[in-house]
Amino acid sequence: MKISLDWLRDFVTWEGDAESLASLLTMAGINVEGREEFTIALPGVVVAHVRETARHPQADKLTLCQVWDGEQTLSVVCGAPNVRADQKVLLARPGAVLPGGAKIKVSRIRGVESQGMICSARELGLGGDEGGIMELPAAAPPGTAADALYGFRDQILDLEITPNRPDLLGHFGVAREIAALTGAMLTAPALWTPPKTSSERLEWSVEIESFADCPRYTAHLARGVKLGPAPDFMRNRLLAVGQRPINNVVDITNYVMLELGQPLHAFDRGKLSGTRLVVRRAGQEREFTALDGQTRHLDDDHLIIADSAGAVALAGIVGGSRSEVDASTQEVLLESAFFDPLVVRRGARKLGLVTDSSYRFEREADWNMVEKAAWRALHLLQQHAGARIVPDRVDRQNPDRESLPPIPLRIAQVNRLLGTEIETTEAVQLLQALDLTVVPLGQARNRKSGSANVMIEVPSFRRDLRAEVDLVEEIARLRGFDRLPTDPAARGARAVAPRALDKVRRRVRAHLSAVGYSEIVTSSFLAREDLERLGLADGDARRNCLSVRNARLEGETLLRTTLLPSLLRILRHNLNADLDCPLRLFQLNRVFWPGARGAVEPSRPQEDQLPAEPLFLQLAVAGRTESTPAGLPAGLWEVKGVVETLGGLIGWSLEARPGDSEPYGALGRQWRLEEAGSGPVGWAGELDGAVLAGFGIEAPVCVAEVDLTSLPAVLPSLAVRPFSRFPAVKRDLSLLVPDGVTFAELAAVIRERGGDCLESLELFDYYRGKGIPAGAAALGIRLKFRSAKGNLKGTTVDKSLALVTEELAARFGAQLRA
Amino acid sequence: MSVMDEQIARLRAAAEARIGAAADGATLEAARVALLGRRSELTQLLRGVKDLPEAERRVAGDALNRLKTDLAAGLAERERGLALAARPAGAVDLTLPGAPPVPLGSLHPLLVVLEEICDIFHSMGFTREEGPDVELDYYNFTALNFPDDHPARDSQDTFYVSDAVCLRTQTSPAQVRVMERRTPPLSCIVPGRVYRNEATDASHASEFFQIEGFSVDRDVSLADLRATVQQFVDVFFGAGRKIRFRPHYFPFTEPSVEVDMACASCGGSGCAVCGRTGWLEIMGAGMIHPNVFAAAGYAPDAYTGYAFGLGIDRIAMLRWGVDDIRLFYENDLRFLHQFRGAW
Ligand SMILES: [Zn+2]
Repeated sequence: MKISLDWLRDFVTWEGDAESLASLLTMAGINVEGREEFTIALPGVVVAHVRETARHPQADKLTLCQVWDGEQTLSVVCGAPNVRADQKVLLARPGAVLPGGAKIKVSRIRGVESQGMICSARELGLGGDEGGIMELPAAAPPGTAADALYGFRDQILDLEITPNRPDLLGHFGVAREIAALTGAMLTAPALWTPPKTSSERLEWSVEIESFADCPRYTAHLARGVKLGPAPDFMRNRLLAVGQRPINNVVDITNYVMLELGQPLHAFDRGKLSGTRLVVRRAGQEREFTALDGQTRHLDDDHLIIADSAGAVALAGIVGGSRSEVDASTQEVLLESAFFDPLVVRRGARKLGLVTDSSYRFEREADWNMVEKAAWRALHLLQQHAGARIVPDRVDRQNPDRESLPPIPLRIAQVNRLLGTEIETTEAVQLLQALDLTVVPLGQARNRKSGSANVMIEVPSFRRDLRAEVDLVEEIARLRGFDRLPTDPAARGARAVAPRALDKVRRRVRAHLSAVGYSEIVTSSFLAREDLERLGLADGDARRNCLSVRNARLEGETLLRTTLLPSLLRILRHNLNADLDCPLRLFQLNRVFWPGARGAVEPSRPQEDQLPAEPLFLQLAVAGRTESTPAGLPAGLWEVKGVVETLGGLIGWSLEARPGDSEPYGALGRQWRLEEAGSGPVGWAGELDGAVLAGFGIEAPVCVAEVDLTSLPAVLPSLAVRPFSRFPAVKRDLSLLVPDGVTFAELAAVIRERGGDCLESLELFDYYRGKGIPAGAAALGIRLKFRSAKGNLKGTTVDKSLALVTEELAARFGAQLRA
Repeated sequence: MSVMDEQIARLRAAAEARIGAAADGATLEAARVALLGRRSELTQLLRGVKDLPEAERRVAGDALNRLKTDLAAGLAERERGLALAARPAGAVDLTLPGAPPVPLGSLHPLLVVLEEICDIFHSMGFTREEGPDVELDYYNFTALNFPDDHPARDSQDTFYVSDAVCLRTQTSPAQVRVMERRTPPLSCIVPGRVYRNEATDASHASEFFQIEGFSVDRDVSLADLRATVQQFVDVFFGAGRKIRFRPHYFPFTEPSVEVDMACASCGGSGCAVCGRTGWLEIMGAGMIHPNVFAAAGYAPDAYTGYAFGLGIDRIAMLRWGVDDIRLFYENDLRFLHQFRGAW
């Protein structure tokens, strides 16, 4: 909210400049979001007298004016309908710069020279266009600088008012806070009431359907209103805080709202039907045309003010166009009320409308300001709109409204929460500065005072203070957080163990980043097209996504059930960036599976509406790469190898089972990853080229992913085994293997026949093509033998090897290559 | 041919012979001193140029300087030749770049900061917890003392899945979830992704990361919070960074504060980094509201506790001078690889 320092000074003075005030407010919890200077400066604009007018020879709508600016007569072309001879106006001479930045110079308008411009209020930043150029009083002396009449300089602070402090939504409230913070004297706005000179009756009644919706409603009548512009000081202040002046009546209601925080509404009495206003729910009424001319749709959540012909205002939100104050207005019925915050909020939300009025009412108005604000506005109407105020009024209020009971304050609790040693007297003094009052304990004894040291009564404008802890905050705030002890006795630190999942996560991230993978963080959202592009079957559970129903951006509104689309988007971005391939990426992110959440303890009724949120590890190699072993797509073996290595490090016993289980995988190049005892936990494979093309990727991409939450989150319990210190004997097998025989089958036979001393076997070469018969592949397998008992003899090893080769030949037709 | 020309030609021939004859480094160094040193004949001749008749000066000076340059080049060439000859068989160029066995990967900067902050609090006895991304409105708002339909909810534009289910706008809902399961004393740290239904720009993302921390015991005070935050700042940002508590409003804490840290870029005098205030906001914090304890089922006044929430993105931006939050989510490897050294 914008605050004018000029305006604030009506109520309080403080030491120092705008900057020190800003830091005072900041440290009191009122953030200053901006500071600016507001000036109305009109260099080169002067009062001028229109001496003669004539029609422009080329244009009917333009007038040729001879204008005396106090020094010379200038010839000016004017397009305003209200220009006439013998009028006092504001003239921008050539060289003048208007607030909008427009430079005035001598110009030709439809062939006629114009030596300046006669200005409207809008062009000068002084308000709206009231039918054309600004007219000055006849007595204004030509040649007078506009600055002398309209110049204004003010400093503006833009305050962020937190929702708990509606009392700060007016200049007086901010001044009251400054006074409390600094001890400065606070000057309240003069309290004026109309002299009871007549027994004139208001002749209006107000009926409130429900005091719950509207606990208080007052109506006053101002007669003989003369509509016109508001006085300069008011217009300047409104402009300074960003409000456009409209006319004296509307400006006065806005002015009082910005001053005292209480929204008001002015009805044109002459346009109301009957003599009774009803505050009620909209009921059967479905349409309402607001002041902005727009017709809004109502339902029964809306609270309206109705006359005998229907709604004339949406309570606390906006007035209706039917009773709008305009040039014909002679009598003003002034509303000042207290509407229920929730009712105003719901009504405004439903219309998607936030007004200055609804903003204040939904944060709760000040009960005691309702009447004061009305009198203040009536006083201003009398002073600046020539109104005669009818002393009679309507003030309907809920007779059963409960005042808030005093709040018990325990000084021990204050010190317990703050870690301080504050005395009761200091605490009380701080609260009194905020206009809180101390109720003697004796008087409050009948209430629940418990072990309280004092009972504190809260004024009507601080309804945010409801409990002891709220008072504790005010004490800490006014005393200053800098005075908290900085080095309290150290609490006994407790040793804590990291959770297993966190250790797994740490291990995974450390390992992958060390072997060349870069971690990415991707969005939780995906688009419906992403699921199509992946080619997921109709019945695929991953098509069942939760969706966000009110996303600001269209498109990606589904909560992802798979990490793939987000990965592919990031890959495409990087593949298009001319980086060295292959790219290696990994991510650890959650996916969201509706209806899959297991039992949660303790469980709330709606807990089953939450999805399961498994944490997936996904890694990818993209782009062409040197292949090892030769002849195979390297990325495919890499992702499989990395997952297997990780599994070994962490203690999973992952098994990669060949099988085309995913529609987005390339045929014959997929594994399901299974964990003994946990079932399927992931997938690895090469992505299908058409799927990749759908995501705008040409390069091959191989992916492995595992659901970390479905794997045992325990790091391996390592136990050291004895190892043999005897030398190893190595033998290389060079085999010609017919297609259809898998490495897994070969390895099983080699292990079975290799004997106890076979320590390891390793594939070091894989080759098909030139020199190899069609329908077969050449495999190089290195076997390492070692005995725990002594030096192995070459002959012993060769015997084992012979057994192996015999069996391989017999079982698979695999031949030793020459 | 002038006398000078003859002298130079003689000098050149002798010098070249001497350089060519040098068979090791020491001899070559001695030749360098003798030929180009301060007392060498060449140097003497150069000094004498100024005494020559004006007409000869320039020609003589040029010739002598040419000789000097040539001799220096000859010496360097001979030095290379000697070094080459002295090389062992099979020698390699040792200035070739090193070849690590695997390329370097990197950890994501946001998660580096997140893990580091968790570690610091872990060292102070905080255990790590998690909460769901998709959260009940109840835990995200109601249990945290945000009344239904209250303007305080406006400050957090929320993604709703249904009336009862939303994407968490903060990591704070974990407070009540943890407290429902455990009894104090407890000190927890809850990192996670949060969501705001907002337009994105250089300083706002609709998905970002927070860490919630809270500590509950019989008599935990605001002074304890201050001491804990100061310790965190000392470790994470470096000792001696001043902090201040500025009053604020959060529904789930009372008193509520925002914690500011003195700006390191300007030392407190105000600069573009700190918006000319001299301070940088690093977290929101406060004493846990009695209504939150009530939602967790704790008896009134039985416990007190503090809670705080840090925005990871903002802290990572401050630490590394990142000026656009979207860089973290674009995942361009040219950005990410600048954090290869971060872990
Ligand atoms: Zn700074």
